[in-house]
Amino acid sequence: MRRILCSLAAALALTLGAQTVERPVLSSYTVEAGSAHLVETYLSPLKYSGWGTALGYERMQAMRFDPDRWTMQLRGRLGLQGTRNPARNATMWDVDLELAWGMMRRFRLPEGFTIMAGGSTGVDAGVFYNARNSNNPAAAKAAWTVRALGAAVWNGRVGRLPLCLRYQAELPLAGMFFSPEYGELYYEIYLGNHKGLLRGAWPGNYFRLNNLLTCDLRLGRTNLRVGYRFDVLSTKASRIVTRRIGHYFVFGIANEWISLGARNTLSEKTRIINALY
Amino acid sequence: MPCIDMSTQKILAALLAASVCMGVGGCHSVESWDNDMYGNFDALWTALDEHYCFFESKDVDWEETGRRYRAGIDPEWDYHQFFDHCSAMLAELKDGHTNLVSWFDVSYYRKWWSDYPQNFNLRIIQENYLGFDYHSGGGMIYKLLEDRKVGYMRYSSFAAGFGESFVDDMLYSMREADGLVIDVRDNGGGDMTNVEKLVAHFINEPVLAGYISHKTGPGHNDFSEPYPFTYEPAVKHVRWLKPVVVLTNRSTFSAANTFVSVMKYLPHVVIAGATTGGGCGMPFSSEIPCGWSVRFSSCPVYDAEMNLTEHGVEPTKGAEVEMDPEAEARGEDTMLEFAIALLNSAAEDDSESRSVIWEQ
Repeated sequence: MRRILCSLAAALALTLGAQTVERPVLSSYTVEAGSAHLVETYLSPLKYSGWGTALGYERMQAMRFDPDRWTMQLRGRLGLQGTRNPARNATMWDVDLELAWGMMRRFRLPEGFTIMAGGSTGVDAGVFYNARNSNNPAAAKAAWTVRALGAAVWNGRVGRLPLCLRYQAELPLAGMFFSPEYGELYYEIYLGNHKGLLRGAWPGNYFRLNNLLTCDLRLGRTNLRVGYRFDVLSTKASRIVTRRIGHYFVFGIANEWISLGARNTLSEKTRIINALY
Repeated sequence: MPCIDMSTQKILAALLAASVCMGVGGCHSVESWDNDMYGNFDALWTALDEHYCFFESKDVDWEETGRRYRAGIDPEWDYHQFFDHCSAMLAELKDGHTNLVSWFDVSYYRKWWSDYPQNFNLRIIQENYLGFDYHSGGGMIYKLLEDRKVGYMRYSSFAAGFGESFVDDMLYSMREADGLVIDVRDNGGGDMTNVEKLVAHFINEPVLAGYISHKTGPGHNDFSEPYPFTYEPAVKHVRWLKPVVVLTNRSTFSAANTFVSVMKYLPHVVIAGATTGGGCGMPFSSEIPCGWSVRFSSCPVYDAEMNLTEHGVEPTKGAEVEMDPEAEARGEDTMLEFAIALLNSAAEDDSESRSVIWEQ
């Protein structure tokens, strides 16, 4: 109750013009490249290995209702994996699109550290494709999950260069995902048998841990983002095991920007609350 | 300048290590095999053991088969010999949908058709019935045999796609005929959606086409409840409701076999010729560590009366007919002659409500 009253008081103070707050948007565009390991037992019992690549977008912003404590994160990522079987005579492709939105509570610690903890929700959709198969060349993937989301952030300097180190992890806890039955052909689904295609997801049958380590080198107006992503997905439904393990180097740019309308301008009284820095 | 103290470093390192451990430990296990002769044999045997759908209906003891063939492996063999050995094991399933595919050979069980008369000679039809003058497209050839008052169409493979407008044009051009012969002899199958597309031109209301089932687990009897599927008529396209004779032989297989099994239950259709080759198990693919792939029957498709047609669809009673070799030598197709006579007599018996419908 006390916290709500404080928030309301802060909001009222802002409204009265005592101090305006601007919440810059931190946008980043990244390219990822690395190695990928796929298993999709609906298509093949063998483990495939190869390369993985992705395009990513991330948008972070302090939240309007309590900008000092809460940050929102919107992410989109389109990944493509190209892998070969152990005999190197067959190729399995995997393309996947992920969209997620989350919010995290910030806990500021001394020495430039911040711990963030919260949750997110998102959808993943994609397909595994193995061209050598006859009636089972593809396995469609779709999931909606609610996830635990956390990050550890350090803002500091190395020499004269300001930088921001972040480790972020995301773990789906519940949701739903699509899976055919053990030997069910997509032709049967096409004929209209949709029974049992939607499964409840929990970490026992839908395990994903998306680890991201980034370093934003704050060179000037544009920040250079370099990092590493270790993304593990492992699902099991109707004895069909799907696994995607990817190690990716991340390169990109991150920019902070403020949208100013005709009536709001930056002044000395304006307080800027960054989402990450 | 802020710097990371030792305790914080330890916490962060522990968090990172825990995440990596969770990542690796959270993965579901997958069975794996060595890439040697026994490992590949076991992988092949297991793929069939867990997914093949006709062990019970064909009375195959797969455990015993596997033991026998595994004991027969000679580690000194080259890969050709090993391939032949594995192919021989798969041949025990007597299944035209089961193949082992390597970079140098594809195994194939041929006895389902090679032990039977061919009952088909395309050259005779082209020369003596069509006069080398016929229309073609979408894997089909057709002609109105004006002097015989029947239409003739041959569809050589359900793998060949066709356009609805092509079928419309073909059927409409033969609308004056007493009936239509659909020749699917030597049609080895293809795409099941083409079966649905073609049947749709010969029905005027939704029909129960059959049932499909699938494996729900690795046990030999782990099957789903058969799911009934229906075909809808080709609305706003030509629908042929005049008499039809579907000509079949032993090489009418897989999707063509399904086409025959659906057409057989239509009231204006007679199946004439020989029992089809079967192949009602929709195939599934897998592979083994050395890179060979294997295809096998996995999802049984039943006809509208829940009969398994793996061993073929019999002709309509009284319409069993074979190619007479002596007549064939004279350039006569006795099966086609039978079909034409059947259509001509049907036209004499009943010419009331049969029609060709085209709603545009």
